[in-house]
Amino acid sequence: MYELLIENIRSKVAISEAEEEQLKKYFIPKKYRKRQYLLNGGDICKYFSFVVDGLIRSFTVDDKGHEHVVQFAAEGWWVSDMGSFLEETEAMYHIEAIEDVEVLNLTKPAMEEMLNELPVMERYFRILMQKNIVTLQQRVVADHSLTAEEKYLRLMEIYPKLIHRAPQQQVASYLGITPETLSRIRKQVAEKGD
Amino acid sequence: MTTSKTIAIIGASGSMGTAISSSLAKTGNYSLLLMSDQTESLPELKSSLEQYHSNTQVHIIDCAKEASWEADIIILATPFQAEKDLAEKIREVATGKIVISIANPLNSTFDGFVTTPDTSAAEELQKLLPNSTVIKAFNTTFAADFAHTVIDGKQVDSFIAGDQETALNTVAELVAGVGFNPIIAGDLKVSRTLENMQLLMIQLGMKYNYNWLAGWKILHN
Repeated sequence: MYELLIENIRSKVAISEAEEEQLKKYFIPKKYRKRQYLLNGGDICKYFSFVVDGLIRSFTVDDKGHEHVVQFAAEGWWVSDMGSFLEETEAMYHIEAIEDVEVLNLTKPAMEEMLNELPVMERYFRILMQKNIVTLQQRVVADHSLTAEEKYLRLMEIYPKLIHRAPQQQVASYLGITPETLSRIRKQVAEKGD
Repeated sequence: MTTSKTIAIIGASGSMGTAISSSLAKTGNYSLLLMSDQTESLPELKSSLEQYHSNTQVHIIDCAKEASWEADIIILATPFQAEKDLAEKIREVATGKIVISIANPLNSTFDGFVTTPDTSAAEELQKLLPNSTVIKAFNTTFAADFAHTVIDGKQVDSFIAGDQETALNTVAELVAGVGFNPIIAGDLKVSRTLENMQLLMIQLGMKYNYNWLAGWKILHN
């Protein structure tokens, strides 16, 4: 249940066995069914979720009712509406299980308690957040400057297995292109690869 | 499906389990996971629950650990004697979750408790599940009361005890949702009083033939 999380923590910081054991008490183990919502937009996001198994997406819905995928989160990734989670404001995002999902949920009070009692986790989250900011900045630049094909190749690099797990419509939505364009790009990329 | 809460009812085929499941299903506010060792009656219960409200989703799960893993709130609608084994099974996956203790630790002759006076079924469960939040609820209401939350023109009181405010409020909301008047009685130690109140109610029920349709009501100005 905690192996992947501990592996993830160990990849960023040095953590003792006693600390590994202690951190378990802060996380709520939870399963969601395919298509179940972890968060409904407009609610207050109560959890910062570490994905142990399965695939999750976060998305927004515009005034016309169109969905825009913001993030995919598979095994080893964290997902949340951070603004809502930290500020306790209404969530901008919906978060949905694309597959049956197992996560470890962290509430804000549990997270605060953990960071106070386990300084090593403060360091872990600092490194995690740093990486997250870098990724977000790259994403902003990518959105402005990359072609659709380049965006697709970038996605393959970040989420190599995801391309085949997520519905193509959602992958297209993440890239900001139509499913038809995605299909054409995939063909082009496959042909180049041959 | 939205971010509605998922509730596991362990012991769903018993009289209390069925009564609680039915009441929760009628609210349409929760996804329900039914678990029982007596699995044969669950499919029928599931179909009847699903008819109460179009929003109600019901799943049968044949393992207490799996049901508790998927749940946000766990209701142990089981006898006190079963709680030790159950706690072992669900301990790891119940971390950080509300576990509702409905049990009264009655002896076999219904004239006393198997627990000592310095503790309660709820406190014993909390010791077994140190990383969960045990809340005492529904121990002062008979199964029949769930279908008749108003008796003699008065809404039946339903007492709640526990040590964590947010969890108490969550359970109070749940209790109100099924039609009872929720009263947060105090911390988990107050469970001793609540369990004794129901011992008295059971004894009086047998003596005066209340026919299991009786409940507590505090009259006040």
